[in-house]
Amino acid sequence: MVSRTYKHLAIWALGTAVVVGGCSGNTPAQTSEGSSSTAAETSETGTTGTTGESSGTDDDTGDPPKPFIPGDPVMPRLTEVQYRNCVESLLGLGLPSLPLEPDTNPYLFYNIGAATTVLSELGTQLYEESAMAVSGAVFADEARRLTLVGCNPEADTECTLNFITRFGRKAFRRPLTSDEVDRWVGIAEELAEGDPWQGLRYAVAGMLQSPYFLYRVERGEPDPQDPTRRRYTAWEMATRLSFLLWNSPPDDILLAAAESGELLTTEGIEAQVERMLDNPRTRIAIQSFFAQYLDLSRLDGATRDPEVYPLYTPSLIVAMRKEVELLVDDLVYRQDTDVRQLFSTRNTFVNSELAALYELDAPGASPIAYVPVELPEDGPRAGLLTLGAFLTMNAHESYNSPTARGKYVRERVLCQEVPPPPDDVDLNLDPDDSDPKTLRETLEEHRENPVCAACHEFIDPPGFLFENFDPLGGYRTLDNGFPVDASGDLDGVPLANARELAELLKGDTRIASCMITQLYRHAIGRKEVFTERPGLKHIEGEFADAGYRFGELLRAMAVSEAFRYVGDEEVLP
Amino acid sequence: MSADTKKRRPVPNIAQVRKSGRGISRRTLLRGAIGGSAVGLALPWLEAMFPGRFAQAKAAALEPIFGVFFWANGLPWHAKHGEAQGQGGHPDLWTPADEGPGFTPTQLMTPLGSHPFSVATGLEPKTEVPGDPPGQGDGHMRGFMVTLTGDRIKPEGFDHPSHTLTALRPTLDQYVATHEDFYGAFPTRFRSLEIGVSSARFHDYGHWNNISYNGPDSQNPAIMSPTQLYNLLFDVPDDLIAVGRRARLLDVVMDDAADLRTKLGANDRDRLDAHLDHLSEIQRRLELTSGTCDTAPEPPGDSSDLLIKTDIMAELLAVALQCGLTRVFSFMLTSPATTHVFTNLGVNNDMHATCHAGEWEQVRAITDYQMQAFGRLLDRFAATVDPMGDTLLDRACIFGTSEYGEGWQHSVKELPVVLAGRCNGNLNPGVHVREQGGNISKVHVTMLRALGLETPSFGWNGGETSEELPGLRA
Repeated sequence: MVSRTYKHLAIWALGTAVVVGGCSGNTPAQTSEGSSSTAAETSETGTTGTTGESSGTDDDTGDPPKPFIPGDPVMPRLTEVQYRNCVESLLGLGLPSLPLEPDTNPYLFYNIGAATTVLSELGTQLYEESAMAVSGAVFADEARRLTLVGCNPEADTECTLNFITRFGRKAFRRPLTSDEVDRWVGIAEELAEGDPWQGLRYAVAGMLQSPYFLYRVERGEPDPQDPTRRRYTAWEMATRLSFLLWNSPPDDILLAAAESGELLTTEGIEAQVERMLDNPRTRIAIQSFFAQYLDLSRLDGATRDPEVYPLYTPSLIVAMRKEVELLVDDLVYRQDTDVRQLFSTRNTFVNSELAALYELDAPGASPIAYVPVELPEDGPRAGLLTLGAFLTMNAHESYNSPTARGKYVRERVLCQEVPPPPDDVDLNLDPDDSDPKTLRETLEEHRENPVCAACHEFIDPPGFLFENFDPLGGYRTLDNGFPVDASGDLDGVPLANARELAELLKGDTRIASCMITQLYRHAIGRKEVFTERPGLKHIEGEFADAGYRFGELLRAMAVSEAFRYVGDEEVLP
Repeated sequence: MSADTKKRRPVPNIAQVRKSGRGISRRTLLRGAIGGSAVGLALPWLEAMFPGRFAQAKAAALEPIFGVFFWANGLPWHAKHGEAQGQGGHPDLWTPADEGPGFTPTQLMTPLGSHPFSVATGLEPKTEVPGDPPGQGDGHMRGFMVTLTGDRIKPEGFDHPSHTLTALRPTLDQYVATHEDFYGAFPTRFRSLEIGVSSARFHDYGHWNNISYNGPDSQNPAIMSPTQLYNLLFDVPDDLIAVGRRARLLDVVMDDAADLRTKLGANDRDRLDAHLDHLSEIQRRLELTSGTCDTAPEPPGDSSDLLIKTDIMAELLAVALQCGLTRVFSFMLTSPATTHVFTNLGVNNDMHATCHAGEWEQVRAITDYQMQAFGRLLDRFAATVDPMGDTLLDRACIFGTSEYGEGWQHSVKELPVVLAGRCNGNLNPGVHVREQGGNISKVHVTMLRALGLETPSFGWNGGETSEELPGLRA
């Protein structure tokens, strides 16, 4: 039995001004606040009272805009992909790729996991072994080591010093201090033992284990124009830009732009962003962001019983993910158009397996060839929420989950938060009811029980809109032998099916603000704090002015104060 | 590098005397050796230098072993789990009818065979469940955290979509591995090993496909790959001079870290300090000439079949324990709330969903299968005999448990508890202790005392107890 109050059930809309009724008992929204919050602390917001001081945002009230006040710095460790990109950038291709500690993704993003998770002892050992392996492979190859070092340390007495200075600047993404130069030259000389190449090899292996390489240390400096604020240094901006746009370390040009101070100006940043967006690495980095924001890893390894779902194959699951990638790439690059169409467009890309699933003619499609198709105007599908990836990863193996699908719409598409079931509530619907019925009818019980209804009223109605799609995303008109009812609603707007939801979402402002919130978390490696919201609001304006083109969002974020300023966290004595 | 072509280093232990960075290090010795001519370090010379050390190392080989065997989603539900479960009318296939020594193992314990084990039944968490913040009552989390840490979860709230679940304090394996009286001044090559079999995870709890924690946001990820485990255990570099350089290099890495340390605020400093501690530990490991296996097993295969993979991982673990590479382990067959699909048992939905769907017979079959895996781990331990005739099971205390009592209602009542092994004669096998509504941390107290660790009490936030379960310790 449940005997507690439900004030904690407040739904709070992240990054939006929307307070949702129905699931909340109309408690004001709770948001994170306080510039001193860290990612770990903000994870506990919504748990500390319900005074409502943070409900809504300024643009609802007509008050003057609140200032942007940045949150504290974080220190993300390189993710596995970033580490490998760094090694490649420093030492080249084709080196041993040893196992590393797995990344974690709190709040969906590996960069947040990288900024909060403590490296394990085994992870430390894996870094050591990786550093020895990659440095060993490079220095075992005489031509390769000469290319890397650029001079012969056996003949040239300045060679070690020059190499350490140059390599260190690239590895640490800033110039070495003179102490650091002494330290690393010193160990190269000590461990040379008569073979200076060997000494350099160990120095490289050591720098690849230094926390200055493995972590992104970005603490900022006083802004000369307003010393009460801290801006990121030019070197830190180079790192921030390159990991945001490339998921890789800065190249020589970016480091030069840092050295010249260019990256301290809006124009300088814009020029670099312009250049960087043209690099193929950006395309990969954008895909990585979308995969995290859309939670696509849930699709990996999804299985279905081939007896029940004859179209199921592991390669179909892979194709579903590929389809989303192609669609994102099309909207962001080929069309360079309003990226919000992701949730409503009738354009997509199918291989022969997906064409069969969607019952489409797709000339030219094969298991490995994807072709662009336009989904039929009178068909059931339009937008991401009618495609295989979403429908499959939010279903059980043998039956649908309108709850999971509805929750995805709330949490992933609209950035609303769905609270957990109350403690001690019976999570199961009556299993002994022998009357045959559709899953939908079974789930209606959620809304008859007042304890469950508080939230399921909020989650299920959009989830029911997808009942025309089975757990593999195939179209159906019957469930358990009974006709499917795919009607539902979103926030009180009645809808007949998922197509109507797609139409409605075209005009939903929450999609853009949600995307910005998620991109910001990904970019900075933590959840935004409340006082950073005005900065995001500003970016949202620029995004809208640019016709919601994603490249322009990246540009707007890169030059925004939300990306260039940092809080003044107290350094421990 | 294959096992048979690789030279194993001899057993003598030089670096063990380098207590916590003081004393003499092998590096010091190596430098002397490199500077001169003798590189091979003769044993008698070392014995002369450190009399008594080798006798001690030999004795250490017979010290107790502590391990956790974890399986997901508890037991098939029955009336003792609560009123609602009773309405299903399902029999209790777990709780033995008779108590005390010589109890008759039940159907679900059959896979544990004739191995020495005891069970405790009726236990549950006693950590307080505050009304606000929510989430403390969630079966998976409350049950998991209390069975393995004796405390609540962190965050002390339920941030469902945010994937931030973590532990407030070390899990039992790490509590033991870092207890100053467990290893004393002579830790093994690895303080602990974390091993996993199924890599299926429950997405809503994010990175929670892991059962070993040091504290908040500090996990010890389980090794899931047999090859990776094999390499870690047996592909130990044997070029002493090169290894000495690697260890020396870490001094410089730590100098960088110490420098960075002065620039950080509280959160990041804690993370960096943990990293620094690990660097010291890796350095110690590099300098350790002992604690390797003279012979390695064949390089392992791999399998998606959980029983076969259990055999593979259990064999590597058993060799590692026998060689003295470690004395603490966690063995995660399946992670909490696992989404593993047991298609081999005719179950088409993932296990967590199968529990929620109330598929009792399927849950029974899966639990039986998971107990078979436990049994196979015990088989391997029983078959691993040292020259004195003792098996690993004679030395070990293995805590077999899950995250809650049962998965249909996620009840944390009637938590499953198995204590396998004789713990060097400190545990009585063949005993069933039943304490309905008893505090789960009494098991922790019992095990810790059996391991020789002084334990006035264990448990936090309402879960504290100074009592142990009667009849289990010899």
